[in-house]
Amino acid sequence: MTADSLSAPYTVEFPFERTVGPKIGTFLGGLRDGRLYGAQTERGVLCPPLEFEPETGAETGKLVPVADTGTVTSWTWVPSRPGDPVPHDFAWALIAIDGTTGALFHAVDVDGDSARMATGMRVRARWRAERVGQLSDIECFEVAP
Amino acid sequence: MTEPITTMPSPFRMDYTYVAGTGRSVFLRGLAERRLMARCCAGCEQVYLPPPEFCSRCLRELEPPFELDGRGVVSTFCVVSFPFPGQRIDPPYVVAHIQPHGAGTRLMHLVREVEPEDVHIGMAVEPVWVSDDELDTSLLSIRHFRPVHYGGADA
Repeated sequence: MTADSLSAPYTVEFPFERTVGPKIGTFLGGLRDGRLYGAQTERGVLCPPLEFEPETGAETGKLVPVADTGTVTSWTWVPSRPGDPVPHDFAWALIAIDGTTGALFHAVDVDGDSARMATGMRVRARWRAERVGQLSDIECFEVAP
Repeated sequence: MTEPITTMPSPFRMDYTYVAGTGRSVFLRGLAERRLMARCCAGCEQVYLPPPEFCSRCLRELEPPFELDGRGVVSTFCVVSFPFPGQRIDPPYVVAHIQPHGAGTRLMHLVREVEPEDVHIGMAVEPVWVSDDELDTSLLSIRHFRPVHYGGADA
């Protein structure tokens, strides 16, 4: 009988801070500067970059600027919740940044209209005016003309 | 050239509702009246404090609640010397598993009014309750446990 049961709101919170490596650190610094970077590897420029190649363990190469446009390779439609990057319903998507290999996971804003989402669609980063060096410096991606 | 950043905030936060359930609610309501309510399993005679509704060994519904006085012994403890965010007390302080007399389970709580180096396994302790206006349906109704002396001798 739940009527007999006490209940109370709780919050669990840990203020973790994470140390990033030199490649991801430069990628994040680039976000702060409003630029996307990828890391050179044997299979092309990797964006977002990693410190090491997952398959070979080889250290990735130097970071190079890349475009802030790309193509949606996969997406899923979600209702907006508090704390989400877009205030209305939107898509989480994997985005292949132009000229790179890899997939950047980010939100795509199509004004709440899921019919405008499609695999293969062209998107562009919408940058925040104030940036701090986090992935949220890109507010979301939007349809590129 | 872009200056790399070295750290990024990676906070974890989760909001949720704790539902105590009928069994735990009996225990919590008892705390608001300075009473520790236990329940016994008729099948295996295990005494639970705090009690759930059903015995976790036998899955039998437990017998009606009865009161324990809260005196017990330290069954194990640790000295917390490390500061962390959200900490309510300045370290060092002692957190102990306390086995109340008459219970087959343990309560975790603070042991104070004693130097940390003088706490030992088997030490007899008793609850120190908060004042009337601070009483709540919470284990914080017990401010802490402290050593108890029976007729001057440490039991």
